[in-house]
Amino acid sequence: MGVYIALSPLLILVLGGCGLMLAEAFGRFSEDGGDEGPSSELSLGSAVCLLAAALMAMGLWIKGPETIEGFQKVAPYLILDRFTLFFTMVTCLGGALASLLAGGYLPEHKLDRGEFYSLLMFSTIGCVVLAASGDLLSLFLGLETMSLGVYALTGFRRGSTRSTEAALKYFLLGSFAAALLLYGGALLYGATGHTDLVGIGKALAADQGLPWPMVIFGFAMILVGLAFKVSAVPFHMWAPDAYEGAPTPAMTFMAVAVKSAAFAMMLRLLVHSFSSPGFTSWGSGWPPVLAFLAVLSMTVANLVAGRQESVKRMLAYSSVAHAGYVLVGVVSMTRLGDEAQASVLLYLLAYTVSTAGALGSLILIGSRGAEAVSYEDLAGIGRRHPAAALAMSFFLLSLAGVPPSAGFFAKMYVFRGAIGAGYYWLAIIGLLNSVLGAYYYLRVMVYMYMREPAPGAPVAVPMRSGLVTAALVLSALFVIVLGVLPGSGLSMALQAVARG
Amino acid sequence: MIRVEHYLVLSAILFAIGAIGFLVRRNVIVALMSIELMLNAVNLTLVAFNRMHLHHTGQMFTFFIIAVAAAEAAVGLAIVLAVYRNRRTIRTDQADQLKGLAMERVFDLYPATHFSLLGVILGLPLLGAFINGVFGKRLGRDAVRATGLMVMGAAFLTAVVAFGALVHHAHTLQDAAGNATQNPRLVWIAWKWLTLSLGEAKGLTNLQVGFAIDPLSATMMLVVTGVGFLIHLYSSSYMWKDPGFYRFFAYLNLFVFSMLVLILGDTLPMLFVGWEGVGLCSYLLIGFWFDEEKNAAAGKKAFIANRVGDFGILVGTAMLLHYTGSLDFQGMIANSGRLMEEVTVWPIGNAPMLFSSPIKVYAATLCGLALFLGCTGKSAQIPLYVWLPDAMAGPTPVSALIHAATMVTAGVYLICRLSPIFALSPATMAVIATTGALTALFAASIGLVQNDIKKVLAYSTVSQLGYMFLGVGVGAFSDGFFHVFTHAFFKACLFLGAGSVIHAMHARIHDTDASQDMRNMGGLRKHMPYTHATYLVSCLAIAGVPLTAGFFSKDEILAKTWEVTVIGARAANQWAPPAWLGKVLFVIGILAATMTAFYMFRTYFLTFWGEFRGWRVVPGWKDPHGHHGHDDHHGHDEFEPGEGRDHIEGPVPHESPWQMTVPLGVLAFFAIAAGYLNAKIIGETIHVHALTWLDHWLEPVFRRANALVNTPEFNAGHAWALAVPGMLAAAVGIGFAYFNYIVKGGEFTEKLAESAPGLHELMLDKWRVDELYEATVLGAVDELASTAVVADKWIIDGILAKFSSLLVAGLGHALRLVQTGRIQVYAAGMVVGTVAVAAFLYLPHSEAEVNGGDSGVYKVKAAGGVGYKFRWDADGDGKPDSQDFGSVGEIEVRVEPGKSKTVVLEVRNAFGRTQRREIVVARPLRDGQSAALDGVLPDNQPKAVIR
Repeated sequence: MGVYIALSPLLILVLGGCGLMLAEAFGRFSEDGGDEGPSSELSLGSAVCLLAAALMAMGLWIKGPETIEGFQKVAPYLILDRFTLFFTMVTCLGGALASLLAGGYLPEHKLDRGEFYSLLMFSTIGCVVLAASGDLLSLFLGLETMSLGVYALTGFRRGSTRSTEAALKYFLLGSFAAALLLYGGALLYGATGHTDLVGIGKALAADQGLPWPMVIFGFAMILVGLAFKVSAVPFHMWAPDAYEGAPTPAMTFMAVAVKSAAFAMMLRLLVHSFSSPGFTSWGSGWPPVLAFLAVLSMTVANLVAGRQESVKRMLAYSSVAHAGYVLVGVVSMTRLGDEAQASVLLYLLAYTVSTAGALGSLILIGSRGAEAVSYEDLAGIGRRHPAAALAMSFFLLSLAGVPPSAGFFAKMYVFRGAIGAGYYWLAIIGLLNSVLGAYYYLRVMVYMYMREPAPGAPVAVPMRSGLVTAALVLSALFVIVLGVLPGSGLSMALQAVARG
Repeated sequence: MIRVEHYLVLSAILFAIGAIGFLVRRNVIVALMSIELMLNAVNLTLVAFNRMHLHHTGQMFTFFIIAVAAAEAAVGLAIVLAVYRNRRTIRTDQADQLKGLAMERVFDLYPATHFSLLGVILGLPLLGAFINGVFGKRLGRDAVRATGLMVMGAAFLTAVVAFGALVHHAHTLQDAAGNATQNPRLVWIAWKWLTLSLGEAKGLTNLQVGFAIDPLSATMMLVVTGVGFLIHLYSSSYMWKDPGFYRFFAYLNLFVFSMLVLILGDTLPMLFVGWEGVGLCSYLLIGFWFDEEKNAAAGKKAFIANRVGDFGILVGTAMLLHYTGSLDFQGMIANSGRLMEEVTVWPIGNAPMLFSSPIKVYAATLCGLALFLGCTGKSAQIPLYVWLPDAMAGPTPVSALIHAATMVTAGVYLICRLSPIFALSPATMAVIATTGALTALFAASIGLVQNDIKKVLAYSTVSQLGYMFLGVGVGAFSDGFFHVFTHAFFKACLFLGAGSVIHAMHARIHDTDASQDMRNMGGLRKHMPYTHATYLVSCLAIAGVPLTAGFFSKDEILAKTWEVTVIGARAANQWAPPAWLGKVLFVIGILAATMTAFYMFRTYFLTFWGEFRGWRVVPGWKDPHGHHGHDDHHGHDEFEPGEGRDHIEGPVPHESPWQMTVPLGVLAFFAIAAGYLNAKIIGETIHVHALTWLDHWLEPVFRRANALVNTPEFNAGHAWALAVPGMLAAAVGIGFAYFNYIVKGGEFTEKLAESAPGLHELMLDKWRVDELYEATVLGAVDELASTAVVADKWIIDGILAKFSSLLVAGLGHALRLVQTGRIQVYAAGMVVGTVAVAAFLYLPHSEAEVNGGDSGVYKVKAAGGVGYKFRWDADGDGKPDSQDFGSVGEIEVRVEPGKSKTVVLEVRNAFGRTQRREIVVARPLRDGQSAALDGVLPDNQPKAVIR
């Protein structure tokens, strides 16, 4: 019985997803959307399920997962520890925010089809499984469950060339990366005889006559697959196209939940399988590779983001840049251990709520038929719709890392970790990049408050949607709480990474 | 039973096929199938391993993969269907439109009127100069080299993109028959500099900091960045041991930047900024080893000679502004009709003068002559050529890049740029052509007798520049420019080849003069096969042997000299050159060509044939003095040139490393291949348009100027007949050189020199022109020069400050270009990244750290690695302590106070590759001062250094 309690967040999601699918199939919704459309019911339904899962995870956290009888029955396929619970909360929160945003967005843009929500739920299940998996088998299953759903979500706007093209790109490149990851996994299995991450790690650490060339090639492929999933430069090129083509709520989900789950997978793999001295040495192993990717991601993405004309695409590049900051934390892990890993977790939480908020504000500013996409669309919003502009500014400031927002402390902990680990140059490059990043976030504000739309240009009118507002309020709450009480977030993250 | 390795190989092949299929096929279904193939390869691997390990996990995994792959295929097909419904095609792109589409995308980002990609091309070398100049000393050689090479490589690639964009733009401007309707131009105006008021009648003119590429400047840009990159690569090895390595790269990058400003500048003042910039860099690089008196003097000489020329440019600019009311090339050329105004040059003002009958000259003639004075300075023509041979005091790669391939051709470029203005006046053109021909002959005559290999090449450069001026002077603008183009390749190759030889000579002879003296060389053919082959190819090209690039360009200039007449603006009582002038210049040109073939092959035979004369070759000989740098040492071996064999012993001369031979190979290839871009004589005879590509490409640039010139129709018989003297000249020159130096062993010329000792001395002393100048003009010029330096700095500094802020924006632009939207491009990016990761993991990295130090015991710890094994040499005997590699990753060394000890660490990784590293552990005199790594301590304290 205990194992079901331990698995309850996942079970809630599975049952909820199935329930939503049935409701969508048998419910009577008006075809043309509006107040009677599927979103009116399903959006809230899925948000409730996702938040319930998150709350359940919170309950388990408070009780302590290790006190529940039988929590190890599904190990190593699913590891039910605080790390899993933390990422369950983050991804479910991201999913919930995305589904609330979809509730406002889909009817407004005549995309009101109910399958969005069940796809989103199933994809979230993939995220949770990915974060929980302690075995290459379940890891692969989680990864594909997550990805397949997201591919479909990206191409959700079936009639649009851009959206389907984005889905195609994401799908092809995503499967390509998955195949690389898988091949790497197969080679590791061959070399060590294990598919469970801990077993692989032990075999590698024991260093008894393993076929090292095979291990190293497998390792290289796994690194590349991971880099693709977290969209680190130069494996990032799919991300801006896919993000831009996807409907904004789907983009929110991708940027937030999918990215967090991918980082969870990366941490699991690196900590469990590749933490022996050989793999964490600066001479050979992942730290120099990831440090290089981090520098590239931050610098390239920030440079390019500054040149974008579309706010949505700018946010896509900014998400690549944030992956770079997170990687800085991952690299620091080799010398600082848990403290750095905790900073990674905290960063992902802060980034989740800030990005969801910023994209939510972008959704809010657009209305029927006219999405706010470019900088020009935002001109003069500050005067005409101060509330929407204020929300946007608030989340962008958090993304830029202005104190006392969540983003500021997240960045601070990551860079402090890098300094503590002795990687001064990483911290300096990161700081320089934050300055570079602030430029394009502030540019949005310049447009909102200091520019007027060109005469005759279509004027964006914000939509009215309780669901979107709710999502924004929820994200704002997190941004403020994490900004005012960063210590509590950090201590939670520290507990999550502490190995019991 | 099949062995597991076979499964592995099979699955690896399948996986590779899948990956390649994914990368190269454009049909989405095929891409999808390729991915499925990759997954199946994984399955095969798993099954094989499953059998090896004898448990069920692998099988289970396989089933999961099959199930998921099916789901994946379903989702994929659904997406493909949606794409098909929207686009009616499932190709990932339209292959036939791809090139056009990519260029369209370039134009999306960089419209033709705001082509800020030029800012990137300009900014990259500047960035390199900045990084290497400011931080170079701290960064270390590796980083300096990487920076220099990367910015140049990136600048070249960006230049290629810009060139492609221009070609595309030119296509859009063509009429139905494929002829250009107007000169294609891509313009970037960075900012407005200032506005000039020209008085009420002429209004205002804007001086903009604007850059543009058209066929002329784009071609030149490719040469500068491409040859520039190769020479950077060469220098990265040639200058490696020089203490000023970073300074050298900073200057070299700064030079490329200035040269690009010169070429891309869209206004005469911008060109002048670049003109001064290259002058400054040239000056800095000639005097690179400024601690030698001679080099500093050479730098100064270059500076002064150029000042005289710059005076001409300034006067010309002022006159052009006055008459045409414009400073940009477009405006000047459009208003060039106003230059046909008569100016009374004598008597000056109303002063009563001797010979009071007035002399009137057209303004066009005056402008042209003033500008040409500038060209004689920069491009080393009579009377201002004297600085160039002395400029060879600089490092050899500098001679190749600045004093052969690029900067010295700036004068020719300027005349091409303003060709419609020069062509207005037949008098100016006659002066240019005559000066060019005389310089060609004069410099060649000096080159005949020089013994220093770099001096010969220097005079040959002056002589070849003369040909270029002869070409543009007779009105064959595209041919003159074509010679600039081909000369860049073969002369750079010759200089670099000479550098490679000097590099080899330095193995034993460290005196600059002795190591460059051809009397000390000989027989290097055997020891340096690669250098020999490339040098020979370039010699053939410069001698004008048929079917080489030099033949096509030089021959075309000579033919045009015979045929073409400049008509000019057809103004009343305009001076016309006599009809015999062209014939005389042709004969001079042929004479000079014969000399060229002779002296070039003289260098070739003396250097590469016969017996080695530098020292007695003793295999395995080691230099007791340790290694020296290249051009920078005073000798300690005092003996007559060519007699080294009797006095000293030395090692077997060695071929240069790949960083030096690869540029040689590429340049030698172009020394042949570049000719076929404009092999007019063949192309026109057999009617193949591709062989006259450059002429067509440049046609819109020179259209206005060509209208002022009378060029007869191509006539195959005529053209081949005119080519015969040139071919004979090459044959005679080479044949005589062979006869004299190989058959007769140099007797013949020795006798010749003995029979006319005075003449020989005079030629050896370069006709004593230096002494003449010394006595007359130098003092006066000094003052002018020092004032110009101030202006120089002011202009350069202003530009520098402005560009750095633009650079961030420009880089972002360039990066965005990669995002083309093509799946394969993205996938290829991923593959490049994968290969980089794999390569990093494949190579061993022998990092190490030094800890401890309590009472002299230091712990040296090697960074561990996957499958690493270590071997140490801690006792300092130069041999490893144990024969085998072991797992000991940390050792202790005991060091006495104030002493140091060298520990050698060798690391071998799982692939059997090893890397070696020397760690010097030094103990301070007093303990407590820590033994830090990598020079954290001030220089006067001992420290542990990792090399």
